[in-house]
Amino acid sequence: MRLHKKDDPKHLIQEVLEKPSNRRSFLKGVSIAAAAGSAALTAGCIPDAEGTGLEEARLRWQEFFKKNYRLMSQEEKEQTVRRLERLASIQDQAQLQIGSEPPLEKVLFGYAFNISRCEGFMECVTACVKENNLDRKSNTQYIRIFEMEPGQLDPGTGDGQFYHKVPVDHKFYTGTQCFHCENAPCTKACPTRATWKEPDGIVVVDYDWCIGCRYCQAACPYYGRRFNWGQSEVPKEEVTPKQHYLGNRKRPKGKMEKCTFCIQRTRKGRLPACVEACPTGSRVFGNLLDPDSEIRYVLKHKKVFRMREELGTDPKFWYFID
Amino acid sequence: MNRDTIFQLNRGALLPTLLAALLFSNAGLLSAGESSVIERVKARKEPFADPLSSQLGPVLEKTVWAKEGYQGGAFRVLARKQAIARFPCSSCHGAKPVLVRQAFELTHGNVILNHGQGERALSCSDCHTPEKPQLLEDNRARKIDFDHSYQLCGQCHFRQKRDWLGGAHGKRVSRWAGERVVYSCASCHDPHSPRFEQRFPATYSVPLD
Repeated sequence: MRLHKKDDPKHLIQEVLEKPSNRRSFLKGVSIAAAAGSAALTAGCIPDAEGTGLEEARLRWQEFFKKNYRLMSQEEKEQTVRRLERLASIQDQAQLQIGSEPPLEKVLFGYAFNISRCEGFMECVTACVKENNLDRKSNTQYIRIFEMEPGQLDPGTGDGQFYHKVPVDHKFYTGTQCFHCENAPCTKACPTRATWKEPDGIVVVDYDWCIGCRYCQAACPYYGRRFNWGQSEVPKEEVTPKQHYLGNRKRPKGKMEKCTFCIQRTRKGRLPACVEACPTGSRVFGNLLDPDSEIRYVLKHKKVFRMREELGTDPKFWYFID
Repeated sequence: MNRDTIFQLNRGALLPTLLAALLFSNAGLLSAGESSVIERVKARKEPFADPLSSQLGPVLEKTVWAKEGYQGGAFRVLARKQAIARFPCSSCHGAKPVLVRQAFELTHGNVILNHGQGERALSCSDCHTPEKPQLLEDNRARKIDFDHSYQLCGQCHFRQKRDWLGGAHGKRVSRWAGERVVYSCASCHDPHSPRFEQRFPATYSVPLD
């Protein structure tokens, strides 16, 4: 029996050869076929409801072969966050809203910290842990608050582990976190280009391209970066469901993470969680390119300094006094 | 075109090219310095056209227009009256006179007055007036609405008020973008006892290494 031209193996091979292909799309094709095969195998062993196992396997393969976030089109970014949302609902029964909001035009975020107002209540820290779904098991914190002796300015000389009634007379309090340097040394140290500065000034990490080598942690002169040794453990009812791809979404194990100025909030016009939580108003956040913003008022009218400015990192985090 | 004219042309073009190269390389060096964030910020003088202002609705809390402006024009402050337990005052302070010395024993016994130290300590009548209890009164007998208490606080705490107007004291409510809404003085400070109480921190830190 003569085969129809469309089913002719020779013709099929010809078609595959003519189709523009590269390594990635070839791997993708192979991977989808493999996923279907492996899923078919497991489906035979484990009874599964309506093929969610197959769907999960497909989503995980597609996630594995996605591009670096910076190379994705807005459409591809949308696709990956939809996949992550679906995976979260399959794996953790969590209903999340993961965003991929791009940076806003003519916005450059800046931060100021009033060392004469901070009284060490640490409410910024708890708000940050909650907002960014930080690991409760290892007690990961992006913000550090130091109790300082008068006359000292380097937090290295302060007490970072105080736990007593605050404020103590004749002491002052200062905080550190990621300073979102304009000339960020961490981004230069990354061998996989998994960390970079966004146009609105936020230094971000693509958790799926980070290989966990920790070079960036060594490069940062401010101890602004944290390494997760395990998958973060957050009680299900405490997970913040509003997330961003570059922000507080679930980080895989063995990745570098850090303060993102709460990118999931600030790109929608909201204040970072630490600023909103601060009971003393020591934290000022805003758009540096807006001449009427609070942060610009602080820079113009207050005595300000930046930590280790002589290193040339050009941080967008200023300390000021009343 | 013979070789001489080519040479002539080249020689003519050489000097400007060299000069341009010198200038541009200088400009390159300068711009490396100028690209620092401070230079970028200083160069930015035109007002920011906030793309989010149309998307962000009003804040959830009750607000009023402030009677003073900030560098960006008019702004809003959180209203105060709805947070005062026994407002309006006229529900008790009617035609029947109420003696001031009874106030501490009677309804306002919960007030702990700890505002100012030593001879500068304040008493009730520094801010309240028996004739018009629903309004505050400053040193110049100016009547001030409870929603605009910053006008009263500012008569002594003028530095804080200046910073609050500009944005270095106090803070905005929930957003950096959109219409400016800020906390009022009494949102954070108890006007009768404005200093923050000593207390335990909300959490503690573990060593990094």
